[in-house]
Amino acid sequence: MSRTIAESVTPPGPPAGSRLGRIAWHWRNNSKRELWFAWYTTVVFYNIFFIVFFPVTHAQPPPHPYWSDAQVAYWFNHDHDGLIIGFAIIFAVAAMTAPQNALIAYSMRRMSVSRAFGYSYLVMYSLSALPGMLLLCVVLSVGALRPGRDPAQLHWLYDFGFLSFTGTMGIFLLGSLVWMLAILLDKNRVLPKWFGYLNLCNALTEVVVAPAWIFHRGVFSWNGLISWWINMVVFGIYTGAFITLLRNMILREDFGDGPLPDIKKNPEATASALAGTAQ
Amino acid sequence: MTGAAQAGPRPGVAGQPPGKGTGEPATAIPGQPDMWVLVLFEALVFTAYFAVYLFHRSAHSELFLRSQATLNPWLGTLDTLLLLASSLFMLRCVQAARAGAFRPALTSACITAFLGAGFLASKITEWVLLVHGGHGFTSNEFFAYYFFLTGIHFLHLLIGFVVIGVIIYQLRGPARRSRELVETCATYWHTVDLLWVLIFSLLYVVR
Amino acid sequence: MNAQAKRRSLTTWLILSAITLGYLALDRSADDHGAYRASSVVTTTAILLALVKARLIFREFMQVRNAPALLCRLTDLWVLLIGAVLLGSYFTGLAVR
Repeated sequence: MSRTIAESVTPPGPPAGSRLGRIAWHWRNNSKRELWFAWYTTVVFYNIFFIVFFPVTHAQPPPHPYWSDAQVAYWFNHDHDGLIIGFAIIFAVAAMTAPQNALIAYSMRRMSVSRAFGYSYLVMYSLSALPGMLLLCVVLSVGALRPGRDPAQLHWLYDFGFLSFTGTMGIFLLGSLVWMLAILLDKNRVLPKWFGYLNLCNALTEVVVAPAWIFHRGVFSWNGLISWWINMVVFGIYTGAFITLLRNMILREDFGDGPLPDIKKNPEATASALAGTAQ
Repeated sequence: MTGAAQAGPRPGVAGQPPGKGTGEPATAIPGQPDMWVLVLFEALVFTAYFAVYLFHRSAHSELFLRSQATLNPWLGTLDTLLLLASSLFMLRCVQAARAGAFRPALTSACITAFLGAGFLASKITEWVLLVHGGHGFTSNEFFAYYFFLTGIHFLHLLIGFVVIGVIIYQLRGPARRSRELVETCATYWHTVDLLWVLIFSLLYVVR
Repeated sequence: MNAQAKRRSLTTWLILSAITLGYLALDRSADDHGAYRASSVVTTTAILLALVKARLIFREFMQVRNAPALLCRLTDLWVLLIGAVLLGSYFTGLAVR
């Protein structure tokens, strides 16, 4: 049985008026504001991540593993400013991954399953930022820092950086499986079962990427057609899906213990769901 | 999107078939629609892998043909027959469960697992034979594809055993026996078979 | 359990197994005194047979035959899509060699 907490102190809704006024109202009164904060942080972070890693630093798609020392040195020198500035931005905003992890863990807390799922996911993914992002940023920044560095040393940093980013997928694999299990066992319908199964696909992409440790060229290398490109498509779909589904979860959230209600399809209900006010 | 995939209790939950005892349901999606999302998605992902393989095969056909000649088509055929038979028994299991015959359903599920284990044994044997013959994951491009495709399929099959475990768990408890769950798990198992059918033709037969 | 359903599933399995054994014959015919040689005919036949099997598995084993029209059409579309992609990538690879 669902027990919805009474929303006695919340005013009816945001006032009509300027956008800024409405945002201020939400900031003060929306009972879901922390959830929305976490969600918007996630969206903003992924946009920054994409812009920095792709066009700014050219770290993605990764350059070739089979390059010579001279070619690697050229890449570092050619991309010097992009690498330094881009990764400086990442270092500044890295903490934005925390609200994202918290929101995902929150989804598991809202489920009917044990709290252990949410907590273990949180621990795993707190650590995951290290191999999953920061190591690459640090290592490539170090490489770009001194343009006169020995090409052999640069090559070492290059290999270290890209392998640490691409190849250390165990944590993401386990995290996906934890979330998958929680979703499939959940009786509160927090997230749809198909997304639980999609977590399995995402976990398997971590296995598909593993041959990058072995192959320097071809489709299984760290920038290969199978290990990177197809994997990225799957990951992109997965990420788009969970960002959308977490938004739906927040809209449906009633702060109870039972199954989440469905989203009602009318403008007043949507506004109310956004604000977390009673209908 | 969130509501649509979460079907409420359907007729046939807890072993009560809608077509009373015929074992043939009225028009209904077998199992959770959500599992079908996975099935179709995985089929696309594997198709992408196959496309890459076929494209590169054409570019290096001599190497691929030479390497392919070292494969044992009899073992590949045996693998296929084993999985097809396992799918047959999985279907039997679902039909029996729908009709309320839970002991035969359990037997069929166990036979499915046994045949699946046969496939695993055959595949491992084949891998060992190849590696002892000097053909490993890194030997050449063909074998990279071979071990990758059979390896990732092997992983799916291992997951399939967990799925059969879920079926057996469901069927053994009178309070459980969710028909939807049994059908959902069966759908997954058939997908493993389906993927192998494609892999077999592409690795062993295609020239 | 319905005897008709049992017979149907057994027939499906026999057909699928027969096609599988048929692959062996195809395999043999493709050999040039033991040496494998490239053949678009063999490749196309192998892929088409695989698609036939896939559709049979969808319709009979996965019971799409009894499913709503949407799922029937979706799985048929998938078989066509897979076929198009496989044959397309094979022949494209041949063309750009």
